[in-house]
Amino acid sequence: MATGTEERVSAAPARRGAYARHRRTVPYWLTAPAGLYLLVFLVLPMVILVYTSLQSGGLFGGLRFSWAWENYTDGILQYKTQFLRSIVISGIVTVACLLLAYPMTYWIAFYGQRWKSSILLLILVPFFVSFVIRTVQWRFMLGDNGLIFGPLKSLGLLPQGFRVLATPFAVVAGITYNYLPFTALPLYVALERIDKSLVEAAKDLYASKWQAFRRVVWPLSLPGVFAAFLLTFVPATGDYVNAAVLGGPGTRMIGNIIQETFLHSVNYPLAAALSVVLMVAMLILASIYARVLGTEDETLTAAI
Amino acid sequence: MSEREERARVDGMLQEALRARLSRRSVLRGAGVGAAGLSLSSLLAACGGGGPGGEDGEGKPNPSEIFGQEPGPVVNFANWPLYLDQAKDKEGNVYYPSLKLFTKKTGIEVNYETVIQSNEEFFGKIQPQLAAGDPTGWDIIVITNGRQFNILKANGWVYELDPTRRPNFEANATPFARDPAYDPGNKVSMPWQGGFTGIWYDVNKTNGPITKLDDLANPDKVGRNSVGMLTADMPDFVMINLGIDPATSGPEEWKEAAKWLMMQRESGTVRQYYDQGYVDDMTAGNLTAGMGWSGDVVYYKLWAGYSNLEFVVPQPGEGGLLLWQDNMMVPVGAENPAGALMVMDWYYQPKIAAMVTEWVLYLSPCKGVREVILKDAEQALEDGYKGYANKLYQTAEAEVAFPSDETLNLAKFGTNITTDEQAQEWDAIFLPISQQ
Repeated sequence: MATGTEERVSAAPARRGAYARHRRTVPYWLTAPAGLYLLVFLVLPMVILVYTSLQSGGLFGGLRFSWAWENYTDGILQYKTQFLRSIVISGIVTVACLLLAYPMTYWIAFYGQRWKSSILLLILVPFFVSFVIRTVQWRFMLGDNGLIFGPLKSLGLLPQGFRVLATPFAVVAGITYNYLPFTALPLYVALERIDKSLVEAAKDLYASKWQAFRRVVWPLSLPGVFAAFLLTFVPATGDYVNAAVLGGPGTRMIGNIIQETFLHSVNYPLAAALSVVLMVAMLILASIYARVLGTEDETLTAAI
Repeated sequence: MSEREERARVDGMLQEALRARLSRRSVLRGAGVGAAGLSLSSLLAACGGGGPGGEDGEGKPNPSEIFGQEPGPVVNFANWPLYLDQAKDKEGNVYYPSLKLFTKKTGIEVNYETVIQSNEEFFGKIQPQLAAGDPTGWDIIVITNGRQFNILKANGWVYELDPTRRPNFEANATPFARDPAYDPGNKVSMPWQGGFTGIWYDVNKTNGPITKLDDLANPDKVGRNSVGMLTADMPDFVMINLGIDPATSGPEEWKEAAKWLMMQRESGTVRQYYDQGYVDDMTAGNLTAGMGWSGDVVYYKLWAGYSNLEFVVPQPGEGGLLLWQDNMMVPVGAENPAGALMVMDWYYQPKIAAMVTEWVLYLSPCKGVREVILKDAEQALEDGYKGYANKLYQTAEAEVAFPSDETLNLAKFGTNITTDEQAQEWDAIFLPISQQ
């Protein structure tokens, strides 16, 4: 009997030992599916993209890998205007989105009460319609003699030559409209998480409404602002649908250039090089931004 | 056969279908969606197959062997939207009368799909497969003469056709469809339909009639920010109108055209450089004039009630037209090349070709179509479809659908780019105009 218990006792540590031995690797095994996913759908395409970007030649004579760094130098030199234009447009868009979304989500988070989720859903409703369809319908609304400007023109409130389509303004407005939900959601999450009693406490301590906002709500919502900025700025820079559909001469963005280089010029290496440049530029800008403005304890993921 | 009955039914359906019809070249509503959704995925896809494209290594396959096989039971036909006659049967299912006749005659089914929204995008989709030596799944594809066409040909990605197995084509092809500069001897391609790129204008909006290219750079005639240009076609179109034949053009001539285009841009008349999809702005009144495709303008003018639109057929010496053709080809790896060639040749019978022309209103590569349409008009008149008969008469009279020899003499094909160096030089000269 004594031996029996001994056996059982000794068996337990053995099992525990096996677990202890694998303990360190278990989390890695658990992340393996995600890792594999990233490898196949992120790392591999990236490698292929960089590989393509260093090829020379064309589809007539065949592409050859030749460390063709000139794709990068040529691309940057040739299209620096469009790179810069994209960043400027995207910057304006992001600021406009924040200015629009902050009061909106603030109101929902603080005064929405039981309607909160319904109102939030309303912001998301346009998402149920395809991105391109949404952009194209702006053409109908903003047509020179369309739904909005037609009546205004016939009433004499606008000059006959007035137009919005095919201008930089239309492109900025279109992207702002399309990316607003990307700004609103992280902002809402951050604002919603703020303990409302903190505001009351601030007021108890004789803070004015404005002071309470500036000293309590705003700092606490910063992680949301940070995330919203990135989630809007990065995709907006690469957007090409709005410039193609709503723009005119002088509004082509780098996304359009990449598309045209790839599909129309069939210059795959140059298109790949431009894509890599855009990606790296975004990465650098985002990390500078994170360094300078990012909050330390609350990370991007926490806000989302 | 109750041809009359069929005719009457088709007629009714035709009217109905036409009302909802977009033009084949102006489906940006669809094409934009496609382009947006696809270009990223095709970018990734295409990069995967970036192997050596240029080598046609193991010797060319023998056409008479490939097309001499027994035809298979199904032909997979990829074409552009709204580019074939359609009708509805009693149950309301859409079918293609001219293909139905083909199946009736040969027993070969045709799986007809309108998957080509633009040459660029479709090429982007099939290029990786072709480069890797995999079948594309299609037996017939339709590609416009131009860079994508030439790449397919240069890489041996399309089969050389067997000239002995296309009797209708040899008998009935029009002079411009036969032996075009981009494919001498129609070695790899047979035109499906063609058309002209020219100038259109809105008679209510311009200051007097537009007659020549320079008018598009004159704000006093067309106004500011109100001309629509077609990005891909404008270099060749400008060259032709400057008196240069693109066939013999080189970088010097290209620069001359670019100079004109830059001058036009600086004149402030241009509203937008379109890939396609200019039709929305044309019909909405956002444009006063611009470049357009003949079939679009004919359709909107004659069939859709936009009588304010005018397509300019220039006077000799005043300018010219750009001629293009969409060409049927058989991609390498096609499962049923023999059947494919039978379908391609089927459309070179005047009666069958007329069925297509009455519906798409572009330039038919088959002779004798006009006569058939006139006969159909008479028939329709007899059957009491007066409006329909009138439209058929007008179509038969349309100079851009059935051009006279003088008009054809003004029309030229675009520059034939066949090397990477040419392509890069061309892009360096012309892309900045629309991209800056």
